[in-house]
Amino acid sequence: MVMPASRESFQGGVFHASIPGGRSGATLTIARGELIADTISEPSIRFSIPLNQCQIDLGGASNRMVFCRTAEGDLTIFCEEKNFAKELDFQSGGMLAGPLKELKKGLAADANRFRFWLTVSAVACALLLFLGYFGVLWTAKIAIRALPVSVDEKIGSMAFSGMEMGRKLEANHPASRLVQEIVDKLKPHASIPDLKFKVTVVEDADINAFALPGGQIVVFTGLIKEAKSAEQIAGVLAHEMSHATLRHGIERVSQSLGIVAAIQIMVGDVGGLVALGAQVAQTSILTSYSRAAETEADLEGARMLNAAKIDPKAMADFFAMLKEKMGDLPDAMAWISTHPQHETRVQSIQDHQKKLPVVQYEPLQLDLKAAQDAL
Amino acid sequence: MQVDIRNRPSFANLHVQLGAGDRIIAEAGAMATMSSNIEMKTRFNGGFFGGIARRFLGNESIFVNEFSASSPADLVLTQPFPGDMICTELRGNTLYLQPGAFIACEPGVRMALGWAGLRSWIAGEGLFRLKLSGSGRLWFGAYGAIFDREVKGELIVDSGHLVAYEPTISINVGMAGGIFTSFFSGEGLITRVRGQGKIYMQSRSFDGLAAWTNSHLM
Repeated sequence: MVMPASRESFQGGVFHASIPGGRSGATLTIARGELIADTISEPSIRFSIPLNQCQIDLGGASNRMVFCRTAEGDLTIFCEEKNFAKELDFQSGGMLAGPLKELKKGLAADANRFRFWLTVSAVACALLLFLGYFGVLWTAKIAIRALPVSVDEKIGSMAFSGMEMGRKLEANHPASRLVQEIVDKLKPHASIPDLKFKVTVVEDADINAFALPGGQIVVFTGLIKEAKSAEQIAGVLAHEMSHATLRHGIERVSQSLGIVAAIQIMVGDVGGLVALGAQVAQTSILTSYSRAAETEADLEGARMLNAAKIDPKAMADFFAMLKEKMGDLPDAMAWISTHPQHETRVQSIQDHQKKLPVVQYEPLQLDLKAAQDAL
Repeated sequence: MQVDIRNRPSFANLHVQLGAGDRIIAEAGAMATMSSNIEMKTRFNGGFFGGIARRFLGNESIFVNEFSASSPADLVLTQPFPGDMICTELRGNTLYLQPGAFIACEPGVRMALGWAGLRSWIAGEGLFRLKLSGSGRLWFGAYGAIFDREVKGELIVDSGHLVAYEPTISINVGMAGGIFTSFFSGEGLITRVRGQGKIYMQSRSFDGLAAWTNSHLM
């Protein structure tokens, strides 16, 4: 007699002690309230479990395998085909809906928990990487600040020798002597007493001056020509010397530090840092320091001028004069265009001056006219 | 076809006696010696892409060799590491093998590469597993001795010792105990197998060998 079969048959398997090896693949059908398994082996053996006696369980390697066991547990029929659970539920008249739903809920909870932990670990990994990256950079910055000033000097002289610039004036040229004398007057008031300031006057029409790390200062002849007084030159020099004593150069190096250089510093390789610093110093002098660094250098410069009995107002005057003279042509004066707004700048210098100790200012006994004429 | 596993358990090898018209499929490179009248055909292991996937993901060869003979002949198949081999017969059921365990099968057995999941990977069992289904005999090998367990319920095994299991078994990774126990007991992660079915285990693990070798270097 042919059994009225379910609409579909499924590929699954069966566990039973009577099968050689205890297991076999089987073709499953659901009919007349029974789950029937015909083993694939030759000859085929038929097993069946009435649906109302089915103990349903889910699991297996895929977590989708549906097991149907007898109450005694001696016969198990299983299948992981997608529609099997649906068909089983349908044919049993919803009898299995409860346990199936319960099991699926458990599986969904498992999957959710897994997804949750996967997300948590991914976020934790990302956070660790992020913190590690910035932690190394931050530590390296601190390490750089702790380096001796001799490192600044090395970076400065390396950058200086690698720079292309106009003809350097002789040390005994009147303009060089003038600048040197001002530096000598300001030097005792520098915040780093043993920094070796070296000043070079370079033939260049630009009104410009810059400081390299370690005290290398370059003044363009254009600046000397345009200055109205020796005090104004002193103002610019005090500002540039302050960049050196405040170690803004090495600060810039640490800002442009990549992760590789940061790790190098942390393992004690300063040589790489010097090379990097020289490179940074060369490419960034003309683009200048940050606004905050400029303001800081203004204020420190004003302090030095005041201590050297030179009126800091001369520095403010020079900026004001330049602004007036150059207008808003940024390319005419790279130095001023990247510097803070001159109004705020003059204001902050004047404000700062009030906080400085009151000193009787002495005019500089220097012949600016002779130096300008010699150019 | 008569197949004997000889020199068990340490240096097991398959001694295959092919009758006229018999065929056997073996992992590429497994053949140690064969009669001159055996014809060897090489084909992609489960198609071109399947073969490549099996090579790179399942640690098996791109190619498998099919040996056939028109008159009685001998063939010896080996595996690259010392250990036992075992024969099991598929009757329409399925068996999952860990990468590298497969040695040979009869033509009625189908091979496919299946995704084993992240859990299996974390357990050190690989992201993929070889799925063998169909009908016929199947031989696989392991590092060390092979023993099987009929699981009904739950069993804990050390990661790296599991060689083969049936699809009715679910695999979960867990810690051996608390954080402290897991780190200092030397057990680390363990694998929890659950369900009904058979698992095959190897008495040695490659991770164990690597760790032991490592401790003797330098």
